Amino acid sequence: MRPPRPSARRSMPIGVVLAVILTLSTGCGEDEPETGSEETEIIEVTFEDGAVTPNGERVEVGVDQPIELVVTADEAGEIHVHADPEQELPYGPGTTTLKLSLREPGVVEVESHELELVIVALQVS
Amino acid sequence: MGDGITRAHGLGGASDLPISPSLAIAGAVAALIISFGVLVLAWRTPRYAAATSGRPAPVWLAQLVDSRGFRISLRVAGFVVFLYAAMVAILGGDLETNPFFGLFYVWWWIGLVPLSLLFGPVWKAISPVRTINTVFARLSGSDPDRGVFDYPERLGYWPAAVGLFAFVWLELVYPFQTDLGPVRLWAAAYVAVMLLGGALFGSTFYARADPFEVYSSLVAKLSVWGRRGELLVVRSPLANLDTTVVRPGLVAVVAVLFGSTAFDSFRSSQPWVKLIQSSNVSGNLLNNLALLGFCVGVGLIFAVGCMLTGVGSERRRTELPNLLAHSVVPIVAGYVVAHYLTYLFEVGQRTLIQVSDPFGNGQDLFGTGDWQVNYWLSYHPTTLANIKVAAVVIGHVVAVVAAHDRAISLLPTKHQVVGQLSLLVAMICFTAGGLYLLFAA
Repeated sequence: MRPPRPSARRSMPIGVVLAVILTLSTGCGEDEPETGSEETEIIEVTFEDGAVTPNGERVEVGVDQPIELVVTADEAGEIHVHADPEQELPYGPGTTTLKLSLREPGVVEVESHELELVIVALQVS
Repeated sequence: MGDGITRAHGLGGASDLPISPSLAIAGAVAALIISFGVLVLAWRTPRYAAATSGRPAPVWLAQLVDSRGFRISLRVAGFVVFLYAAMVAILGGDLETNPFFGLFYVWWWIGLVPLSLLFGPVWKAISPVRTINTVFARLSGSDPDRGVFDYPERLGYWPAAVGLFAFVWLELVYPFQTDLGPVRLWAAAYVAVMLLGGALFGSTFYARADPFEVYSSLVAKLSVWGRRGELLVVRSPLANLDTTVVRPGLVAVVAVLFGSTAFDSFRSSQPWVKLIQSSNVSGNLLNNLALLGFCVGVGLIFAVGCMLTGVGSERRRTELPNLLAHSVVPIVAGYVVAHYLTYLFEVGQRTLIQVSDPFGNGQDLFGTGDWQVNYWLSYHPTTLANIKVAAVVIGHVVAVVAAHDRAISLLPTKHQVVGQLSLLVAMICFTAGGLYLLFAA
C-alpha cells in the first residue's frame, strides 16, 4: 500500500512550471493575416496524356489575392478547389483561364477531378 | 455509391496553415527541458493511488449524476441522436451535405474527445448499443452486465484497438470515405458487432471492446471526474489517469490513436503527396502501408522505450509497456486537440447547419439551417498555432509526469532515474515528431 499524500499543495509547482513554459514556448505575434497583394498569381497547369503538371506543389498566396489557373489541356475536364464551399471549375480542350480568390486563411488543395491528383496546394495567408 | 469517383478528400475545405518553424522548435525545446526537469526534480515515491486519491464530489452533484432520471435522460438523448443518424443514413441522399457524414466523422469521432475531457466517460453514458443491450436484458429478465460467457481476460482491449484501426482506415485511407453506402455499412457492422458482443459477454464487452467507449473512457481519465468504488470523486487529472485499468492491448489502443492522427498530418504534407502522385505503385496501397506503419511504429518506439531499463527479479520486462501505456493518453489528447481543433469547430458547425435539413430538400427543422459557419480560428492563425503548440506541450508534460510516477513504483530503486531515460526519449520523439508534422503539413 502506498501512503495517502496531500495532492493539492504538491501540484502547485507543476502548475507554475507549466504556466512559465507555455508563456515562453508560445510566441506572441501579429494575428491578423496580411492583406493579399493585388498582383495576380498566375499558375500554369498542363494536362497531357492523362498526366498533369504541376504535381502537388505548394504555392503561397494572399487572402483575397486574385489567382489565375491557366489551363492547357488535351481534353475537357474539371478542377476542384477544396475550399469551403467547394468550387468546381470546368475547362475545355485548348487553353482556359480560370479565376479564383480565397477568403479564409488555410491550405486549400486544387485537384484534378478526372485524374484524382492534387495539382497545387494553395497556402493562403 | 455516388458517381463512383473517388472523393478521397474527406469532409471539410481548407486545412490549417503550417505552424511557424520557430514555434515548433520552441515547443520541442520546452518539451525537452520539461522532460528532464521532471526526471531530475520530481518526487521519488509514487504519489497517486486509486484507493485514496480524490475528494468526494458535492453531495447534490453525486445525487444528480447517480439518479435514475439523469442516467435515463442521457440514454434517451444519445438514442435520439442515434435514431436521427440512422434515419439520414438510410433515407438520406448520397450527398456530401448529408448530415450523416458530419455526425459520424466529426461530432462522434472528434466530438467525443472534448466531451470526455470535460465530463468524463461520455460514450459509456449515452452509447446506444449499451442502451439496446440494457433494454433487451430488461425485457428478457436477465442482467445486462452478464452475457452467456465471461469476457476472456487475455483479449483485453485488443478488439477495441482493431475497431479503432478499422475506423481510422475508413476515415483516412479508404477512397470512398464520403460515399454513403460504405460509411453506412461500416456503422451497421459496428452496431451489429456491438450487439452480438453484448449478448455474448454482457456489458463488460463495451468497456473493453467498443472502440468508442474505450477511447472516450481513456480520455475521460484526463478529466477531473473519477470513481472510488461507487463514490463520485474529483481528482487531479494526473491522479485520475493513474487509475486507468491496465489490460492486454492498451499499448495497441494508444498506438493506433496517436499513429493515425500523426498519419493524418503526414498524408497531406507536400513530400508525401508528391511521392505518391509520381509513384508507379498505387497511392492507395502506399497510404494503407503508411497508416499501418505509423501505428505499428508508435507502438514499437514506445515498447522499446519502456523496456530498455533495468528491472528487478519480480517483474518481466515485457509487462512494462502496458503498465506505462496510460502515460501516452495525454500525448494523444494534446495532439488530437492540435490536429482537429479547427476541423471540429468549422465542420462541426457546418454539421449543425446540415442537421436542420436531413434530406437536402430545403427543410429547416431545428432553425439552424440559415446559420453561417464562424471561421474565427482560421482568421487568427497565430492564436490558433499557439493553442496547438500549447496543447501538444501540455499533453507532453502530463505524460512525462504520469510516466515518472508509474516508473518509480515499477522500477527497482537503482534504475528509477536512468531507467526512465529511454521512455523519455520515446516521448520526446512523439512530441517533436508531432510538432514537426504540424509545421510540415
